[in-house]
Amino acid sequence: MTEERVNVFKLHFIVLILVALTELIGTKKINIGIGVIALFPMLYALILGGFISWPKFKWLKEKEMNAAANILGLSFFLFICKLGANIGPELPKLMGSGVSLLFQEVGHIVGTIALGLPIALLIGLKREAIGATYSLDREPNLAIIVDKFGANSPEARGALGVYICGTLFGAIYMSILASLLGSSGIFHPISLAMGAAVGSGSMMAAATGSLAVIFPDAAKDIAFYSGAANLMMSIIGTYVCIFVSLPLTQRLYKWLEPIIGRKSKNIQEGGQHSA
Amino acid sequence: MNQVLTILLIGVIALVGNWIGYHVPPTESLPGILLLALITLIGMGFTRILPFKSPVIVWISLFAMIATSPFFPGNAFTAAAIGKINLLALATPILAYAGLSLGKDIHLFKQLSWRIVVVSLVVFTGTFLFATLFAEAIFKIQGKF
Repeated sequence: MTEERVNVFKLHFIVLILVALTELIGTKKINIGIGVIALFPMLYALILGGFISWPKFKWLKEKEMNAAANILGLSFFLFICKLGANIGPELPKLMGSGVSLLFQEVGHIVGTIALGLPIALLIGLKREAIGATYSLDREPNLAIIVDKFGANSPEARGALGVYICGTLFGAIYMSILASLLGSSGIFHPISLAMGAAVGSGSMMAAATGSLAVIFPDAAKDIAFYSGAANLMMSIIGTYVCIFVSLPLTQRLYKWLEPIIGRKSKNIQEGGQHSA
Repeated sequence: MNQVLTILLIGVIALVGNWIGYHVPPTESLPGILLLALITLIGMGFTRILPFKSPVIVWISLFAMIATSPFFPGNAFTAAAIGKINLLALATPILAYAGLSLGKDIHLFKQLSWRIVVVSLVVFTGTFLFATLFAEAIFKIQGKF
């Protein structure tokens, strides 16, 4: 622990103020034509927090931001605990959805790779594409990639890139996506709730939050099924990543790269830094 | 010890959020928050004493499920107390801390190419959309909806 000198109470105090302020503003729904977008306290809190931590203002030190990221993990534990407590009383209901729960997990893998890899290759990524598209690239996935390819590999660079984008605007993007998919009327709220369990705390919180606002009557079901899907992912997710999605992405890369990969050799691929 | 204090402080913040946003008086939320914190801490402690590495959230979810399931003593009280805590009241602090940590990644972001940004959005869309599609398809096949 190198964060001993960080005054975490300052962080907690800012969060307390942000929570009080944003909960006071409350939820708003905006119709943007193609669907309803739900604006709610956690999104204001994210944006205001991002504003406060904007490096130019120098209100927060880098160490404090790292401490905030650590506390974020702990705050997600309470959220997870609440989701578990929602499942307990209705355990039998869970048994009836076992097959769907397993298959949504398959959907999470197929989705990142099937949609991500071809597009990554089409716009000119090389081996970066493997790291970038084999999973949602949160902390455990980064660890898997670094372990296998090394921190300075193109694969790790791709994974880190998606990781950074996820941290910066994943939650906002997920909440918009959840709002649009939810108000499109194509999907049942329960399916969407399972889809929302993407394996990232802040993205999942934002997506389930949007769904709960769009479908107020199904709020309990949304918490139930996203909680169950998240539990499923946290139990088998790492193994699926190591034994299924990474080898699958590598194989598809070998096959697809010569077909749709860009020919030019000297494309600038983002940061030269390592993890 | 540090983590115990942090969990309790986040609990207090969620308590305030539950009060302002969802109009549940702190006296009514308190038992639920304390139970959530207790189960969370038990889950964290349990993960630490296990001889092998495993994700903390698996144990926290599992213990929370067991404590509120029909065969566990006091389950009705536990479930009712935790039921007073709105899920979104617990989510707001998460994103507030996330916001406060954003600044550290901005200079890294500036070094990324636009390509990786596009791919990120596609990956986020893909995982959400396909998992939803697959779940929906199975429910439809089973005739649940």
